[in-house]
Amino acid sequence: MESWMMAIAILLPLVAGILVFIIRQYHVQSFIVVLTAIILAVNSILFLQQGPFTYSPGGFNWGLMVTILDYVILLFYLYVGISLRNWLVLIFALTQLIPLAWWEFGMKAHVELTPAFVVDHLSIVMTLVISIIGSLICIYALRYMYDHEHHTKLAKSRQPRFLFWLVIFLGAMNGLVFANNLVWLYFFWEVTTLCCFQLIAHDLTKEAINNAARALWMNSLGGTAFVFALIFLYVTQGGAEALSVQNIISGHITGAVIILPVALLCFTGFTKAAQMPFQSWLLGAMVAPTPVSALLHSSTMVKAGVYLVLRLAPAYAGTHLSTIIAIAGAFTFFAASGLAISQTTGKRVLAYSTIANLGLIIACAGINTPLAIAAAILLIIFHAISKGLLFLCAGTIEHQIWSREIEDMEGLAAKAPLTTLITTVGILSMFLPPFGMLLGKWLALEAAYMVPLAAIFFVLASTLTIVFWTKWLGRLLQVLPKIGWPREKLSLSYSVPLWLLLIGIFVIGMGVGPIYQNFILSATNNVITGNQIIPIGWHSLILTGTAFVEKGILGIFLVWPLFLILAVALLLPLLFIGLKPKELRPVYLCGEQTGDLDTDEWLAEADVKTKFQLGGYYYQKVLGEKTLDPWVNTIAIVILVIMLGYGVIIK
Amino acid sequence: MIDQLITVIVALIVAPLIGGLLFGFDRKITARLQGRYGPPIIQPFYDFFKLLGKQHIAVSKLQFIWIYGYLTFMVVSLLFLVLKLDILLLVFLLGFAGVCFVLGAFSTKSPYAHFGANRELLQILAYEPVLLFLALGVYAQNGSFLISEIFKQDKPLLFTLWPLFIAVLFILTIKMRKSPFDISTSHHAHQEIVRGTVTEYSGPYYALIQLVEWYELVLLLGIIALFWTNPLWVGILIALGAFILELLIDNIAARLTARWMVRLSWSVGLVLGIINIAYLYLTKGVA
Repeated sequence: MESWMMAIAILLPLVAGILVFIIRQYHVQSFIVVLTAIILAVNSILFLQQGPFTYSPGGFNWGLMVTILDYVILLFYLYVGISLRNWLVLIFALTQLIPLAWWEFGMKAHVELTPAFVVDHLSIVMTLVISIIGSLICIYALRYMYDHEHHTKLAKSRQPRFLFWLVIFLGAMNGLVFANNLVWLYFFWEVTTLCCFQLIAHDLTKEAINNAARALWMNSLGGTAFVFALIFLYVTQGGAEALSVQNIISGHITGAVIILPVALLCFTGFTKAAQMPFQSWLLGAMVAPTPVSALLHSSTMVKAGVYLVLRLAPAYAGTHLSTIIAIAGAFTFFAASGLAISQTTGKRVLAYSTIANLGLIIACAGINTPLAIAAAILLIIFHAISKGLLFLCAGTIEHQIWSREIEDMEGLAAKAPLTTLITTVGILSMFLPPFGMLLGKWLALEAAYMVPLAAIFFVLASTLTIVFWTKWLGRLLQVLPKIGWPREKLSLSYSVPLWLLLIGIFVIGMGVGPIYQNFILSATNNVITGNQIIPIGWHSLILTGTAFVEKGILGIFLVWPLFLILAVALLLPLLFIGLKPKELRPVYLCGEQTGDLDTDEWLAEADVKTKFQLGGYYYQKVLGEKTLDPWVNTIAIVILVIMLGYGVIIK
Repeated sequence: MIDQLITVIVALIVAPLIGGLLFGFDRKITARLQGRYGPPIIQPFYDFFKLLGKQHIAVSKLQFIWIYGYLTFMVVSLLFLVLKLDILLLVFLLGFAGVCFVLGAFSTKSPYAHFGANRELLQILAYEPVLLFLALGVYAQNGSFLISEIFKQDKPLLFTLWPLFIAVLFILTIKMRKSPFDISTSHHAHQEIVRGTVTEYSGPYYALIQLVEWYELVLLLGIIALFWTNPLWVGILIALGAFILELLIDNIAARLTARWMVRLSWSVGLVLGIINIAYLYLTKGVA
């Protein structure tokens, strides 16, 4: 049973990917993808039911296979570097390839560990996020890519290739969150980097290729740190046992030496989670078709980064490194929220918001109290749902107006009311009560008092967050006086994922109490104690020595009354308060209207009929990338240097 | 449970009465300061009922959906205060109310409302951090965000949180939309924005806005009263003092630009907040 579950989680996406690559018919492809999605989702729920276990695959030399594929991937990077004449890609491919080869062949390192995979509560939460939300995005991609290719008028469809990388991404992520052997973890890490590169480059425009190359070298830099951490652990701790994630986090390896590899691994996590100063690769990734962004931002790729940092939390608990990680994350949260205000492209606002929220999650890991870790896990779940939904909305909007610019979305409510409604809920769910993201932020703020500097960043960033979301929403809602909305029809491949995610926001949001008590607490317990005891089932352990069960959100009251208030505040007026045509009036224009109700023309200078236009504010001089980036990047680099220097040397 | 229900009902009825009276008082004082006689003190209520009786007119349906949200969340925030619940969540709910207000203005194609909405966002940018710092300060002092916990303490918050108290006084002007910070909308007519955020509301909908303003005023003064809860009448006196201070400032100050407002609040308000939190952290340690 367990071996089947593992095989489905990791290998089924690979098989499905190969199938959709070979079979080039739209309907058959769709069938395969939908079927895979359903199986993966059901499988992840089985994991939930099964609870934690450990597993080592047998019957085949998987270790050898991983090694061979490692080199295949790295040699491919080398080829990319040379063929694109991109020296950074080339250099960081070599910095991984040479040490790895020296270590594995020169030193004859042989790492075989049992168990190879450890399934615990945190990885189950992760696999649920990956398998359910990731699958929904794959379903969405079917129709989206069809429309996309129709619009770009491609001669030969590249959709099979696209779906191939999209689907195996899920398998790699599942492998990544289960892997206990660090060498295997590194392999899955590289596969996600590879998938990410291929998907960003998909459209093959110059911009796409350049941005894909940037994503590749930045993640390869992270990969390099990973390789050095591997070798360092192996050499200083004398053997393969040191390369077990369980051994690292459960305190079996002690001493001052452990902190350097841990810091390196956190650095790797930072690159993948696009923390400042590495944010540019994720922003560049916006050129990719929207399902890619949705996948990268919600359930895969960047979540691998925060997963690694969170996973290692007990290994750096109580050190200066931990505090510095908290400050680094909090700074990213703050700076990215500020930069988001100046963005004129919807997808870039979403990207900055992702970077900001990942910063928040990493800061929580750095604060490293049970409350903070619980907040981090809640944020991972809620961010995945809301951000997945928002990217799918952005894609749907893009395919209706063929633009990504916020200014072009002006008055979308009158053109595409359904999409606007869903987008509005998605946006509100990112930063307002009673939605889950805010609950996470609430816990985080409470926990952040341990690191006051982080708390200050949290406060400022929360405020900036309100501004950029509301500003964008305001552009969508701008409508002329008119009665009645057009009916909007969406293809099933669009609407099913959209509605499911929307329902998810409410169901998970309202059920946060039981979810918190049954799952999040167990997962937090895992993270904090470093899996010293892996309990069977979900209810078995309550954290001892912490007061947060009483002091946390659930001790005070339940969340659902707040949802009731939300319904009274917005849903009831929306449904039941009507407006009669005779009650409508044109807006005030100092009496210079040209007459009709739903016109936006007025008599300008010399009584010339003129359409008036409204625009959003972006404050680019103050908050634009040109102004802020040098400062932000410098500060971020200084923090990183402190993290790898001071944080490592002084424990 | 019954007690709480009674508290809720009393708060729902009494708060707008107090708020309305305070607004009437405001108009009287302002008139006197300007050498006028001024309207009777219950004029706001006359206005309110007159507006309620007017014809329903609107410029879009979206617009007044948000106004109901504004009202509901403002009332809920107030209930959080009187039921002595979590102050951090109170600030977040108040934030939702603010967002509804802005979105209501954005939901029209009106240049003046948009002006106001964009400026109101800057107002949020200016006051929200101070409110969050206040919540954090309460947590630093009491080890809990619960307002009921504040009432259990013998020592008033004012003793340890006085820098934050000054910061809160500062943002009270912004939140009440009084000069020098009546930037997004104003109680006096200003040509360039007409009435800013509320330009497009009229009749009963405008009456709703006034009702929310009354609730909001009571809520804000209530938050100020939290600085001295034992005995509570001292806190209430402090709050009323703060209100009168605002009226004076309103009458002697000219409007500032939005940029100045954000600059001032992010320098003065935030520095005070940060100093306060840092001091508490260093002296008391982790709560």
